[in-house]
Amino acid sequence: MAATHVEDVALEPEAPTGGLWLEAFRRFRRNPAGIIGVAFVGFFVLIAILAPVIAPHSPTEQNLQALANGCCPGPSRDHLFGVDELGRDEFSRVLYGARYSLVVGVLSVCVGLSIGLVLGSIAGYLGGWADTLVMRLMDILLAIPSLLLAIGIVAMLGPGLPQVMIAVGVATVPIFARLLRGSILGQREADYVLAARSVGVRRRIILTSHILPNSISPVIVAGTLAMATAIIDVAGLGFLGLGPQDPATPEWGTMLTTADRYIATAPFLAFFPGLAIVIIVLGFNLIGDALREALDPKLRRYD
Amino acid sequence: MLRFVVRRLLLTIPILLGVSVLIFVWVRALPGTPADALLGERATPADVVEFNQRYGLNRPLYVQYWAYLKTTASGELGTSVTSHRPVTTEIKERFPATVELAVAAMVFALAFGLPLGFFAAKKYRSPVDHGSLFLSLIGISIPVFFLAIILKYVFAVRLGWLPTVGRQDVLVNAEHPTNFYVLDGIVTGNWVAAWDATQHLILPAIALGSIPLAIISRVTRASVLDVQSEDYVRTAHAKGVPPSQVDRRHVFRNALLPVSTIIGLSFGILLSGAVLTETVFAIPGMGSWMKEAIFNHDYPVLQSGIMFLALVFIIVNLLVDITYAFIDPRIRVS
Repeated sequence: MAATHVEDVALEPEAPTGGLWLEAFRRFRRNPAGIIGVAFVGFFVLIAILAPVIAPHSPTEQNLQALANGCCPGPSRDHLFGVDELGRDEFSRVLYGARYSLVVGVLSVCVGLSIGLVLGSIAGYLGGWADTLVMRLMDILLAIPSLLLAIGIVAMLGPGLPQVMIAVGVATVPIFARLLRGSILGQREADYVLAARSVGVRRRIILTSHILPNSISPVIVAGTLAMATAIIDVAGLGFLGLGPQDPATPEWGTMLTTADRYIATAPFLAFFPGLAIVIIVLGFNLIGDALREALDPKLRRYD
Repeated sequence: MLRFVVRRLLLTIPILLGVSVLIFVWVRALPGTPADALLGERATPADVVEFNQRYGLNRPLYVQYWAYLKTTASGELGTSVTSHRPVTTEIKERFPATVELAVAAMVFALAFGLPLGFFAAKKYRSPVDHGSLFLSLIGISIPVFFLAIILKYVFAVRLGWLPTVGRQDVLVNAEHPTNFYVLDGIVTGNWVAAWDATQHLILPAIALGSIPLAIISRVTRASVLDVQSEDYVRTAHAKGVPPSQVDRRHVFRNALLPVSTIIGLSFGILLSGAVLTETVFAIPGMGSWMKEAIFNHDYPVLQSGIMFLALVFIIVNLLVDITYAFIDPRIRVS
């Protein structure tokens, strides 16, 4: 009788991977596009913080002598980006503008994200009539083009930066709510949840350490990309004149409104704030794309 | 197919009703009452009571909502507070301007986005590919109004190749039976007017089309790469179908499916972007009208305008869904 010989293989435990997030961070670090994105956004975060130190002038200080020869003197040694129609230093204004765009962009996404997460979780976890109610409401909001929705909300609340922030935030709610609900629904029936259940993992643990980490990554990606859209939308509302009502506020979108009027004589007034928006938005888009690849390597096929 | 269309149509009804409730509530939440807006500051309390009585504003909300639904459904949209003209008349003039702009932007986006995405996929990981990815990244990162300002400065102000503002040169003598200016020129045989209107469209269309262009080229690229590795493409190559024909018949045609859904989605972006583009180029369309209405507290215009645009958006998405189901039979079954 030859007994089946079972070889005694020592099961080497694999080197600890460090978990989902560390893995993702490692992948993110290797992606040059993501690093460039971080650099762009980081650059503007620094500018926003250090604006009072770097800026050679106050953003509201008017140097009327600079306008002695008409509007508007272009870039020079004293005024790197030129002087605007009221004799203010454009360079300093663009620097200070980073504060408004970053803060308002980030906060509006936070508004949208928090409402969206709550609604999405309710719909996803509870299901049934709560799901139907929330999702039909989201369908209705999605039926109105986002900028129009934001304009409508600003019309209701009155113009101003905080109002713009709320409006842009609310306009992103349906995106987050839908995303998280779909994601939770998709994970709830996944094999690993079944596996966890079958070995007796408690429901709460399944929810918090299995379903949620797996459902949240698309939300993080969407959140970063929404930051890009939010900054554009905030600037857009500012451009329409619905932003800060004090014309001295150096908000980039609002600055472009006046720049548009002086475009024939002073194109640089439009160029610099516009370029600032493009770079910061590009930064968030690059980070978002890199995060998507880092958090879900399955998606990484052709990029 | 018919069942799919009917089901899809039925699904839009609750959404439309929901939008109407939302707009009804929203108008009542706007600062200031209609009486304040229309009667002015010198109105006595008696005037206000009389006004509310006349317009039925003292009735219960659900009665008001029902009345609003009935009048809106019958196409009665009220009168603009600023221009004192019926809202329907203004929509007839302004909506064609926005549609013309949106269609021109979409044509631009498709004409450049499809080939760009296709060749990027064909030359995967080549400079062409990287260039197209970079371009589409810039496309979604540049605000529509900033691009519009740059285009206006370079091509209209500096080079003087194209007009800066409006839909038509004031010196051009043209009739407008349809209010689609390019079409009007062609219909009336007035080629000067048609060409002039086209010139006015070019810059706004490029500015507005930049985002859909970026999205379309990206989706096309991914889609072509997907389809290229399908078994039937390999089979076609194996049985000796000329490569150009494989590209045309097998790859491109199938790759277009996901792109067609993007077109419906992009329409919302176009409507949003139109507000900004129309502002930069002073085009009297729906977008610039909505913007003015906010500043003028023109509530009848806001209420009907947003309802109308939402309706258009819903119909476009409906049509896209139906077309998609028509092209791809798999959708109908699920």
